[in-house]
Amino acid sequence: MRHITTIKVASVAAAMAFTLAACSSSSESEPTTPEASNDSTNEATTNEDLDIAFIQGVIGDNFYISMECGVRAAAEEIGGINVSVQGPQKWDSALQQPIVTSVMATSPDGLLIAPNDVTAMQRPLEEAAKESKVVLVDTSVEDPDFAVSQISSDNLGGGAAAFAAIKEMVPEGGQVLVIDNQPGISTTDARTKGFATAAAEDPDFEYIGVQYAKNDPATAAQILTSTLQRYPDLKAVFATNIFSAEGAATGIEQAGVAGDVKVVGFDAGPAQVDALKDGTVQALIAQQPYQIGYEGVQQAVAALRGEPTEAVIQTGSTILTKENLDTEESQAALYASSC
Amino acid sequence: MTTPIYEARDMVRTYGSVRALEGANFDVYPGEVSAMIGDNGAGKSTLVRILSGADKANSGQILFNGEPITLENPTDARIRGIETVFQDLALANHLNPIQNMYLGRELMKPGILGSLGFMQRSEMRIQGKNAFSALGATVRDFSGPVSGMSGGQRQAIAVARAAAWASDVIFLDEPTAALGVVQTKGVMDLIRRIRDKGIAVVLISHSMPHVLDVADRVHVLRHGKRVAVMEAKNTNVEELVGAMTGALDGKEAA
Amino acid sequence: MSLKTEDAIGGHETEDSVIRKPLGARLGHTLKSQAMQIVLVWLGIVVIFSVLSPDAFLDITNFRNIAISVSILAILGVGTTLIIVTGGIDLSMGSILVFSGVIASMVMRGMGDGEGWGVAIAGILAALVSGLLWGLLNGFLVAKAKVPAMIVTLGTFGAALGLSQVLTGGIDLRAAPEVLVDSVGFGSLFGVPSLVIIATVVVIFGIVLLNHTKFGLRTSAIGSNAEACRRVGINVDRQLIKVYALAGLLAGLAGVLNLSFFRSTTIAGHSLTNLDVIAGVVIGGTSLFGGIGTVFGTLVGLFIPATLRNGFVILGVQPYWQQVVVGAFLVGAVYIDQTRRAANARGTTREPLFSRIFHRNSSTNTNRKES
Repeated sequence: MRHITTIKVASVAAAMAFTLAACSSSSESEPTTPEASNDSTNEATTNEDLDIAFIQGVIGDNFYISMECGVRAAAEEIGGINVSVQGPQKWDSALQQPIVTSVMATSPDGLLIAPNDVTAMQRPLEEAAKESKVVLVDTSVEDPDFAVSQISSDNLGGGAAAFAAIKEMVPEGGQVLVIDNQPGISTTDARTKGFATAAAEDPDFEYIGVQYAKNDPATAAQILTSTLQRYPDLKAVFATNIFSAEGAATGIEQAGVAGDVKVVGFDAGPAQVDALKDGTVQALIAQQPYQIGYEGVQQAVAALRGEPTEAVIQTGSTILTKENLDTEESQAALYASSC
Repeated sequence: MTTPIYEARDMVRTYGSVRALEGANFDVYPGEVSAMIGDNGAGKSTLVRILSGADKANSGQILFNGEPITLENPTDARIRGIETVFQDLALANHLNPIQNMYLGRELMKPGILGSLGFMQRSEMRIQGKNAFSALGATVRDFSGPVSGMSGGQRQAIAVARAAAWASDVIFLDEPTAALGVVQTKGVMDLIRRIRDKGIAVVLISHSMPHVLDVADRVHVLRHGKRVAVMEAKNTNVEELVGAMTGALDGKEAA
Repeated sequence: MSLKTEDAIGGHETEDSVIRKPLGARLGHTLKSQAMQIVLVWLGIVVIFSVLSPDAFLDITNFRNIAISVSILAILGVGTTLIIVTGGIDLSMGSILVFSGVIASMVMRGMGDGEGWGVAIAGILAALVSGLLWGLLNGFLVAKAKVPAMIVTLGTFGAALGLSQVLTGGIDLRAAPEVLVDSVGFGSLFGVPSLVIIATVVVIFGIVLLNHTKFGLRTSAIGSNAEACRRVGINVDRQLIKVYALAGLLAGLAGVLNLSFFRSTTIAGHSLTNLDVIAGVVIGGTSLFGGIGTVFGTLVGLFIPATLRNGFVILGVQPYWQQVVVGAFLVGAVYIDQTRRAANARGTTREPLFSRIFHRNSSTNTNRKES
């Protein structure tokens, strides 16, 4: 009996050690600029390292990876900033909220976060704002007054841009569908709204509504194939985020209507860029997550230094097509897979 | 002439085209061990299932204390003090011997505590231990799960459980089939002690030597009928085998 | 004449030191020490994190936050433990939680001005009834229709979630009276959060129910040998329905607590909750095969992944590694359960892991008998 206990506790210790080895090798908590940190550690009383935590909306998403790259780049440029990145496995407040409280236990100076829900994250972030400078990146909450700054893409404009891209590709008009992630997320809701408004104003197009794919490409593919059954004259689809676009492209391929149905995707991850090159997706509206992350750090640092901050920052979008893909501007807009 | 405590007359049971019982008879008296033997397919299991309430015959009579009765389910049999131990023992492996003994018949605390579900655990433990020792079944660990006990122990627990609740008749289906020599002896002794308490014991077994060792009477079933009833002390293995296989066909004892 | 105790069935006589108790493993005691072992593992984790990050980790606020994050899972865990003890499983709890929250929110929104304790209580009752009905459906299908529990609860997992989306159009409802959010969601009594208090009450209820009542005993018995229970006259179907109904009721309670805390029905969330809870149950020592289990073990089993995740975030470990370690714990727990079951079936006590792996002549290695 004693043996078992010893073995168990020892295994746990081994797991810890193993994890820490992994942790230290991935340089999560090392300062990004050795020179800068040396300088700051020499000055004992002033200019201590700042700890900035970045909580992504969901891990494994190229959009948030690009944002992380922007965060790290800004941190390195400014110097003396330790960056730590965490995020939930799925887009789920029940998963994100414990991460917020755990991160706050380390008392970071600044917190960049893409909240998973407008009300669910309201209170936890209000609590966090008591200790840290909070910057809302990408998504927002009901009452963002506690935040130093809200930085996101102009999603309404992005939705309208998507419609413009479709109008370009299908000048004669027709039925158009939106495949969204899930309702209640400020960003995708705005994109859908921007698109729907633009479509409503155009008599040549019929907006047949929005379906939700829940960040699951398989669901998006199913939605597309089912919609085609009901609306055989479907001309174009606007997929509001990366997983919906992947799925829509798959669905079109599956239904054998590649080329007949145009897809405009949002976000420019590697899989979507491939789809753009293949021709299954005809246009991509790329956000600027790198800029969002970059600005986020700048706003947090400004707040920490007592300098003025901007309450709302909206970043723009780039329309990518197969034709303009190789331009410098387009290449810069592509999302990263790693930093 | 005393009436048998439990009797089956002209039992017929068919399953589709299979005629498991074709007018089988059986009887057992209080304080005796009646063994039921027969080859595979003779109808022993079917008869036991009917007499324990797990099955119903197509026709025939069941008499308890001379009165005809019908058994709708095993509970009807148990209410009358008829208990059965099938070969699988029906023990809950994770529970201890006391919990197994009282399974389905737990002693509840009086009043509101009882209706909330609280049991008289110490009382069940005391009574259970007494029941085991009264039958001479020594259980070393009353708080361990029965799964960790030897086959002989488990058999003893299953048999003792039935004996503790049975006031009149107990059926034992192949109780020593999986046991070694020493363990078998223990179960045999247990059977004698149950008989000595005045309970009627029905022993189904393939093992002729054991049957002759412990039974008072031996009933031989063949092709769904009882073909012979003999006093154990007056018969031997060859005779029994002969009856089982048909050498003594047609001879029906009164 | 007393019935002598016999040697254990199976097992293999070796010259090595296999501890062979004549009457087999004392599972009751093993289990109690199993629960203690799990607590020791958790304490080990706490110690290690405290050493590595004393300021951030070893802090009352931090522990309070861990407790809050476990509270709703613990309430679900009570019901799931009972179900798994019967040999079943429940995949639907997260969806029942969401659906019950939706019903509660709809009821509360439609009542008067939507504020005040009267409204809140109506909402709570609505959530409980909704959970109970789903639980009854689960139980009926498992017990009477004899559909395997995994399939039934997979079905209700989808159905409850789908109905939630039908009722709300896919958009989260956010109606909850202030009193509910303030007192239940974020309130506290003597410094202990209300959520934690409620969860503690439910867990204590679960412990008493499973270990001290006829209901709990029969639940274990059914998981151990349902046929045996039928033979002794226990209405197995009715007991199963009650167990699933209770689990549903608790999921309904969790739903209204979830609503109070997040002020949202979180329709998109809780898709992984069922796996988190089942992992907690298994890590806590309850066997997936039924017959034996403890609610206390489930509670500790839920604390372990929550504490691990908290500590890893504090240490800045990449999220992917966190999942690996939690997964490793789950597999380890099931492995230990397997060896314990095998040892019990052989009637021996479990050989220490170390000697089993490293001693050539250990009984496990010389006589690989499948049990």
